[in-house]
Amino acid sequence: MNARIRAVFDDAGVRGWLHAVALDDAASTVSLDADAVVPMASVYKLPLLAGFCRLVDDGELDPRAQLTLEPATRTPGPTGLSLLADPVTMSLRDLAVMMMTVSDNAAADALLTVVGLERLAELLESFGLQQTWVRRGTAANLLDLQRRTGLDDPDAALAVLADNNRATPTGVYEAANASASTPRDMTLLLRRLWAGELLSAAQTDFAKATMQRQIFQHRLGSGFPHDAIRVAGKTGTFGALRHEVGVVTLPAGDAYAVAIFTRTARVDSRQPRADAAIGLAAQLAVNELR
Amino acid sequence: MLTERHLQIFIALAEEQHFGDAARVVGITQPPLSQGLRRLEALVGAKLFERGSGGVELTPAGTALLPFARRALTSIEELHQAAVARDPEGPEIRLGLTPEVPVSAGAAVAAACSAALPGSRVTVVTAPTSSLVSQVSSGRLTLAVVLHPTVLDGLEAGPVQLLPTWALVPAGLASDPVAELKSLRGLPVAVRSRAEAPAARDLFLDTLAMHRPDGGTVVVTDERAGLAMAAAGQAIVMTADSSLAAPGVDRHLLAGDPLPTRLRLVWSQDRTPFPVDVVARLTEALVTP
Repeated sequence: MNARIRAVFDDAGVRGWLHAVALDDAASTVSLDADAVVPMASVYKLPLLAGFCRLVDDGELDPRAQLTLEPATRTPGPTGLSLLADPVTMSLRDLAVMMMTVSDNAAADALLTVVGLERLAELLESFGLQQTWVRRGTAANLLDLQRRTGLDDPDAALAVLADNNRATPTGVYEAANASASTPRDMTLLLRRLWAGELLSAAQTDFAKATMQRQIFQHRLGSGFPHDAIRVAGKTGTFGALRHEVGVVTLPAGDAYAVAIFTRTARVDSRQPRADAAIGLAAQLAVNELR
Repeated sequence: MLTERHLQIFIALAEEQHFGDAARVVGITQPPLSQGLRRLEALVGAKLFERGSGGVELTPAGTALLPFARRALTSIEELHQAAVARDPEGPEIRLGLTPEVPVSAGAAVAAACSAALPGSRVTVVTAPTSSLVSQVSSGRLTLAVVLHPTVLDGLEAGPVQLLPTWALVPAGLASDPVAELKSLRGLPVAVRSRAEAPAARDLFLDTLAMHRPDGGTVVVTDERAGLAMAAAGQAIVMTADSSLAAPGVDRHLLAGDPLPTRLRLVWSQDRTPFPVDVVARLTEALVTP
């Protein structure tokens, strides 16, 4: 099986890391370099969601509390509040929905500030995640890239990463510098979340439903082209990183947590072959576990 | 035990005053550099550097010990050189070249290897990029020139070198010495198999399709076959090799050079660390006429 998954990654021109596990049988797994620590990109929004929901459960945060995000201080990004021109007032739980369904960078950074890096680190440890570090949000990630490329303009810095004619600046994809995790840790988080071990029933349902509503279907979803199969996921995209972690539920109710991290050789912003390879690798892994 | 690497780290940090730059000079990443420094400081029983705001600075102990480290490293290098000089065969450098490397550029890199690492014995093989990457990973090759972009899987890689690429077309197909890619119509472009380097090949094919939506491609085993097909009036060859020629085949530059041959050097840091200046010389050799 691993050779077939490896061949899918090779053919797409990506380096891939994968872990898949049946939710009702933790011993039933598919692993391909599943313990490698990889920068998470926007996948960090999943542990952030879990941490936020726990703080709601603990009564430390009011999910209905309103927050106003001013355009000048909002994190840029390709979707959601990041795109808007005027101040936006929203509840914390709605920010979480924006963060998870459209990978809204502005909403995520605002929520991360409310939750706090230290408080989140403690929560992730209490969840049993020993290889997951949320070190910073998207705004800080962009600042780091600007520093490494020596460019003040975030768009210009991102353009350096998207140039096939030059080498990527050193350290941009080093896990030690970024929010990072392993495929195995991400499936552990999903498995415990789905089992209701981390959150109240209400918050568990909220987290699952929100992940179910993610609009991006081109990665994990592309491997399961049938409406009877449900895919609840969170993607991550930064430079050459293409990730998705999620839970695939088959019509009979059996479900599988899958975490796939990839780094592409090409650096173009649109890479449909890499996206499809994530779907195909997930399909191979789930079929192996069925 | 004090090692050559400790001395290299000490001297590089003293000269660069920056962890990242020193790591690049030594040819390692930052974590092993920091670890090596801690070990060295434990071994000599003194703190050698202070971390400042912008970088690192020698402590008085570091300043006092630096000349001894320089002398020790020089002696070790002399030992290596003496050993190489005595070994009639010298250390072996196994160089791999992807078939897209122009004949003369491959020769120039091999010659540069020999010059940069005196006394070494250079052997050369040609193999597709995907095969070269796995051979360097497994240690069967010391270093290789591969197509970029490709999945590197933990290997070290030098800068990306762009080689201008010409179109070799049947005589009369195009009139302008600098041809628009979209004007080269009616014939397929000869390409090597996709599996040899999927990412680089897809980038080539996607770029070709953007400029030239029709005409298609034909898979050939090598440039020799492609050139023969061009001579037979059956195909267009894209090559970075300035010496590839045949009667009845014209050579055109492509306007804007849309399909450069992207090459870079790869090696395994664990097996054979190459100093940056050697990498730079070898990379430079790829484009030196």
